[in-house]
This record gives sequence, C-alpha cells and structure tokens, in this order.
Amino acid sequence: MSLSTTPLTPEVVSLEGNSMVLSMGPQHPSTHGVLQLVLEIEGESVVRADPEIGYLHTGIEKTAENLFWSQAQTVIERMDYLAPESNSLCYVLGVERLLGITDRIPKRAERIRVLFSELTRIASHCVWLGTHSLDLGAMSVFFYTFDLRENILDLQEAVGGARMHPNYLRVGGCNGDLPEGFLDKFDTLLQKFPGRMRDLRGLLQANPIFQDRTIGIARLSLEDAISWGVTGPSLRASGLAYDVRRAFPYTGYEGYEFDVPTRTEGDAYARFLVRLDEMEQAHRILTQVRTQLEEPGPVMIADTKVAAPPKETIALSMEALIHHFKIVSEGFRVPPGDVYQAVESPRGELGYYIVSDGGNRPYRVRTRPPSLYNLQAIKGIAPGNLIADLVVSIGSLDPVFGEVDR
Amino acid sequence: MPSTQTPPLAGAAVDPPSLRPPIEDAAIERVEPAQLHARLEALHGEGWTMLLDLGAADYPQRTPRFDVVYHLLKLPSQPRSAEQLGAPQRMRVLCGVDAADPHLPTVSDLWKAADWAEREVYDLFGILFDGHPDLRRIQMPHTWEGYPLRKDYPLRGPARERSPRPAFALKSNVQAGTPPSGETLAALQEQEKERERDT
Repeated sequence: MSLSTTPLTPEVVSLEGNSMVLSMGPQHPSTHGVLQLVLEIEGESVVRADPEIGYLHTGIEKTAENLFWSQAQTVIERMDYLAPESNSLCYVLGVERLLGITDRIPKRAERIRVLFSELTRIASHCVWLGTHSLDLGAMSVFFYTFDLRENILDLQEAVGGARMHPNYLRVGGCNGDLPEGFLDKFDTLLQKFPGRMRDLRGLLQANPIFQDRTIGIARLSLEDAISWGVTGPSLRASGLAYDVRRAFPYTGYEGYEFDVPTRTEGDAYARFLVRLDEMEQAHRILTQVRTQLEEPGPVMIADTKVAAPPKETIALSMEALIHHFKIVSEGFRVPPGDVYQAVESPRGELGYYIVSDGGNRPYRVRTRPPSLYNLQAIKGIAPGNLIADLVVSIGSLDPVFGEVDR
Repeated sequence: MPSTQTPPLAGAAVDPPSLRPPIEDAAIERVEPAQLHARLEALHGEGWTMLLDLGAADYPQRTPRFDVVYHLLKLPSQPRSAEQLGAPQRMRVLCGVDAADPHLPTVSDLWKAADWAEREVYDLFGILFDGHPDLRRIQMPHTWEGYPLRKDYPLRGPARERSPRPAFALKSNVQAGTPPSGETLAALQEQEKERERDT
C-alpha cells in the first residue's frame, strides 16, 4: 500500500514511520470557515496535508438550474460571500453575452459595476487582512480593517437594501441609479482611505513579529502555482502578472489606469504586500470612476424583453404592463448556447461556464471558484512546514468556503 | 425511496452548445475520449500551461450523454509585468462521455489542478477518471448515493413522514365543536385521568 495514494487514516499511517495523524478542524478558528485538514505530522512538522472540504456544500449550482435567470443571481451572489458583486458581475456578464446585448449596456451602468467591483475588492481584502493578522496575534489591525469595511457595507446597503448581498447588478444594467447622498458617503470613504492604508502598513509592514511569521513561509514557486491553477494575488506574488482585468478586459476596464502589482518571492509576506498594493490600485480606479459618475445617464438597457419597463409607464401603456408582467412572472428567455465568462475577483479568476437551452432558466452554471484551486495548493505548500505556519499558509491563500464548497 | 420531485426530462435540451456558433474568441475543440489524453498532453507541451477549469454538463437526451469541459490558458513563460504578458489565450476542450461507460483518462499527471476538479466531477456526475491518484467524493458525504448534478437526480428528498400530533395538545387548541380523534384524544383522556388522580 503506497502512502501517497490512500486517504489518511490512523490505520494507514501507523503502518510506517514515526508519524502520527492529526485532524485540524473543521471547527478551528484559524481555518477561516469549515475546513478540515487531516495532517500527517512528525513532531511539529507536517509531512503531508490532506484538506477535506465540502462541509459547506449547499448545492448552489443545482439550485441555480431550477430558478429563473434573474433569481439564480441571488444564490450565485452567496458563493463568495465576501465579494458578492464579483460573483453577480461575472454571472450577469455571461448571461449578457448569451443574450448578445453586451454592446448595449449603458455607460453609466458599466461605471457603477466597476465601482462596486473595486469596492468589494477592498472590502474583501479588509476581511482577509483583519483575520490573517488576528491569526498571527495582531489584534488591533482587525478593528481598523473592519471599520473600513463597514463604510463599504454602508454603501452596499444604500443601493441594495442589504449589507452583505445587495443583489444590485442586473442583467442589462443595475437596479436603479445611485441613491441621493451616495456620492457624499463615497467621497468621505475615498478621502479616508489613504490615511487608513498608511495606518495598516504602519502596523504590519515593518513589524518584526509579522515579518518573522511570514517572510519565507508558505513559499509557492511559479511553476507550482501555475500547475495548481492558482490565480489572483497568490499567483502574482509568485511572479506572474496575470490579471483578468488586463488579459481579458470586461465592463470597460480597458479604460482605466492601474498597475498589476507583482512580487517574485512567492511567500506569505509577498502575498500580503501584493494585496495591500492591490487595495491602493483599487482606490486609484475608484478615483477615476468618481469623476465619470458626474455624468448622468440611464443605468438599465432599454430592451423590454430583458429588463422590465420603468414602473411609471405601467399605468400609461398597455405594452409596458404586459412586458412587466411577463418579466416578473416567467422571466426572460436566453438563446441557446454556451459561454465562459471570467472576472478578476479578489481571490483570482472567477469564471462561469453557462449553458442555456433557450429557456427561462439556466441549463447549467458551472463555477470556476478561485478559492478551490488556490486552496488545493496547500497540499504542495504544507509539507515541510510547521503546524503553526500552516495557519499562515491558509490565511495567506485567503480561501472563502462559500465558494470552495458551493 | 423514490421521490415525486424527479424533474421531467421530456422537453430537456438535446445539445445546446451545438445550436449556435461560438460567441467568444476562445478556441473550441471537441475531442474523442480515446484521443483526450494525447491531445491535452500535446496542448500542455505547446504552452497551455494552466488548466483553468474542469467541469461537466449533463444532456440526458443526447448520446454521448455527458460533456466534460476543460478550459485552458496559454501563458508565455516567465513574464514579469502585465505588459510583457501580452494577450494570453483561452481554449475550451469538450469531450463527450457515454453514460453506459463513464470513463475518462485523468489529466492530473499534466496539471495538478485537475486533482480536486476531477474528484468533483466524479462526485456530482459519476464520471470516473482512470489513473486518478485519489478518486473519492469531495463535496458530498462519503456515504452518499447518486450523483446530484445529473439532470435526473431528484430535487428533493423523500417526503417526510408526518409527525404525530403533540401529546400535550390542550383542549383550547382544538377548535370548538371538533371531536378530538386519534392521539389527541388519547392524550386528552390521559390528561383527564391525571387530573382525577390528583384530586
């Protein structure tokens, strides 16, 4: 019996060597959700790690197949619950390509999409930074980051009514224009951000304890990263400047100026630096979006086969009433075909392979969850590291289990 | 127990991907299972170094029934900046799998990323990958029966058995004039007896 090909159980491991099996999780604070790691250890060092996932499997892909196209968006937004707009943006873009309306999306709607896509990136990195540093014993960072995130959640609440899952983006545009007072709150956030980033960098970047715990830890070579399918900040920290926003631009990203920060070390500290740089680049994009938002315009496509007509027209027009009724009661239909759409979520390349059979429900929504592929690399990273460093490894890969397990 | 919630298959799509010319710039290729491994190995050698995704779809009215879908990414070697990266390319490889013999060769020897992706396809569609080092369920519990993402998989479990009326039902909960029956009646009679015993 070869040790490398059989599942880890106490019986298997007791057959050879001095190693023992330790089960870490699924209820362990540093596993960031419900991850179980079955570890084969010798003393304090890990010989082999075998992650067990699926504890949060809720069948979102199956559920989505049995909802209208627009209803499916609500469950899809719950996959990566730290970056809801990345999920819905990717899905919405895929459906729009199947419908063939990509070129007719109003400019203002695209700008609002970029706005929330970047806001959600900052918010997601805030949670990552707060919890990651909490794992390493730095308590105060958590409060600074969650304060910043709270401001972003307020903005989400303003447009969608819900803090975590606003479901604001729609096939064909956005659900209504930005509400009154939104831009004032947004300006406050933009002004607050640079100072807050200075604070965060000041707390951690040159902190000797933080550096001791992260420099040279959880190293991932570029070859391994590519082979494991790692994308996003974790890949860029290993030296490859692959960013979906640059490589396959979508929703007007080609019109914004931003850098793709990379490092070559591939360790936990490099991933930390890349994510911090990314937050600053997101702020740079947001500043550019802010000036464009001065220009008013429609936020929803004027196609009554896809988007319900404005509410005020219903009382005046027979056709508007019929279209509204049809859209609400049976949804819109999407021509048959298949498409792969990807966006750069805070964790990497988030992709949807969507198949339509011409009906009013998606036939198949296959997700390419960046967290799943990133987390898988832990099998390559963990061996040879200490158990204490495993916590750093998981934290630096930033998995979200709603997305890993779906 | 069979469920009443099995979705109807009569009107299901035969083969949606073939109904329309591709609407994206990615190259799309369809490969027979026998040639799959050799073709993907050749692509891997040509610079398609990243397996972006490996998924599947079920078309019950079609032969072969399943499509296993590979998305590949071509990357130039060792670029350090986004400008050097140029324009990477994507590619989709589809491979039909027959329901009677759902076997495919593994590609986890070419891309490590295929490990969990193949386990997931096995778990949710029941497609077996020959040569995979550790093919077991990943999302569903290890004791699970059936493959949930197949189109003929029931949407709900068997109907729950009706729970018995609570034995603590009080007289006031029963509508006036309705004669109590079954367990409720028994419970009420029990209550009466207890009260008599106490007094």
